[in-house]
Amino acid sequence: MTTPMLRVVASGASSFTTELTAELEDVPTVDCVVFVCGDVDAAVLGPLDDVDADGWDRRAEQVLRDALTALQDAHRALSSNGGRVVVVAPTAGISGAPAVVPFVTAVEGVRAMAKSAARQWGAIGIAVNTVLVPIELLAPATAGATSFLPPPALGHAATVADVAGAVAAFADPDRRGVTGATVVVDGGSVMAP
Amino acid sequence: MSTVDLSGRTVLVTGGAAGVGRGIALACGDAGAHVVVASRRDNGVDVVHEIVDRGGAASWTQCDVADRDSVAASVAHAVDRTGALHAVVHNATSNHSSEPHRLEDVSAELLDEHAAVSLRGAYHCARAARPALEASHGTLLVMTSPAGIEGSATLPMYATMKGAQRGFAKSLAREWAPFGITVNVVSPLAFSPAMVNAIAEDPDMERRLNRRVPLGRVGDPETDVGRGVAFLVSADAAYITGQTLGVDGGHFMSI
Repeated sequence: MTTPMLRVVASGASSFTTELTAELEDVPTVDCVVFVCGDVDAAVLGPLDDVDADGWDRRAEQVLRDALTALQDAHRALSSNGGRVVVVAPTAGISGAPAVVPFVTAVEGVRAMAKSAARQWGAIGIAVNTVLVPIELLAPATAGATSFLPPPALGHAATVADVAGAVAAFADPDRRGVTGATVVVDGGSVMAP
Repeated sequence: MSTVDLSGRTVLVTGGAAGVGRGIALACGDAGAHVVVASRRDNGVDVVHEIVDRGGAASWTQCDVADRDSVAASVAHAVDRTGALHAVVHNATSNHSSEPHRLEDVSAELLDEHAAVSLRGAYHCARAARPALEASHGTLLVMTSPAGIEGSATLPMYATMKGAQRGFAKSLAREWAPFGITVNVVSPLAFSPAMVNAIAEDPDMERRLNRRVPLGRVGDPETDVGRGVAFLVSADAAYITGQTLGVDGGHFMSI
């Protein structure tokens, strides 16, 4: 019997990841890996016309490589006893966002990767779900990239604590039967069809 | 017979030599476009001959979408040959697309092979074609798959790339809208060479597939998918951008 663990990993360091890790400290320890897809060095503003080959690789394909590595590490850690994987990514993947094309390309790829993992790993008891949050919460430098979105219905922007609540819900082993799901935690701005 | 009018328009189709790409090329040719068939191998010439034999106009350009210069040369070919470029259809996909695999076993090399064609190819098409598409108020179309929307139990890398293409198209649709360029996505269900081979090995597969499609059959690359694409690259679709159109007999309705 191994000791249960809840681990937060990320592609690139960010204050969001640090804060989310702190918020999740009080969550009962369960077998769960949280992957934050919010690399602040990839989520930078600029038109696609100005993105050279190295920039494309760094902002799009490196994000996919990091996500693959994180999910494969999670599979190794959880394959014996099952567990939960929660991916945290920006809502910009659903809405699209100008001036962040490479990063948002990767984000929607990561979401499809997570759904595929859910389909493949469900048989060994690994659930994979996704929590989407405003892009500026993950990468403050992108503020304004999704200014076209309606304001949050709840009247305030999502906080790291709000995100932690959703992550904790997906991490709860009693919530069986939920995998491959996406939940948006943004106070009711993006409302997917 | 196509009812869409692409007269005077130039449409470049990557991966246009076979399967769905060939169907798109033939349908656009029937609708009156000059079709630039872009393919790595010279089997694209056969499609050009088919279009010309039907009374249409077409030319072939050697194109490796993973190579920036190759894509730029193909775009230049289209503009030099016809004076304009109105649409790019990025249909090419990795040769490994239909090979089943497990996500936990995927190597960085396999990810790169998928990304080189599906994503870097889309990026190269966008970078190379933007000036010409801005001049024509044209359109960029990316071919995705239901796997990109709902994930895949057998092809996770393919699903990843197809999902990524939707993020690419939606974001670029917003970025390019001020320039009068539209960007859309088509999610087809049609016979591809890989599917035909799979059915040859498992004849019951077609019946099982048909049962899952509300319209009761897998689509034809030309008369079903090609004509849907022809509409989206026509002037009639000028107010449509950032959308994913399922041309799949109703197979997937949850976009």
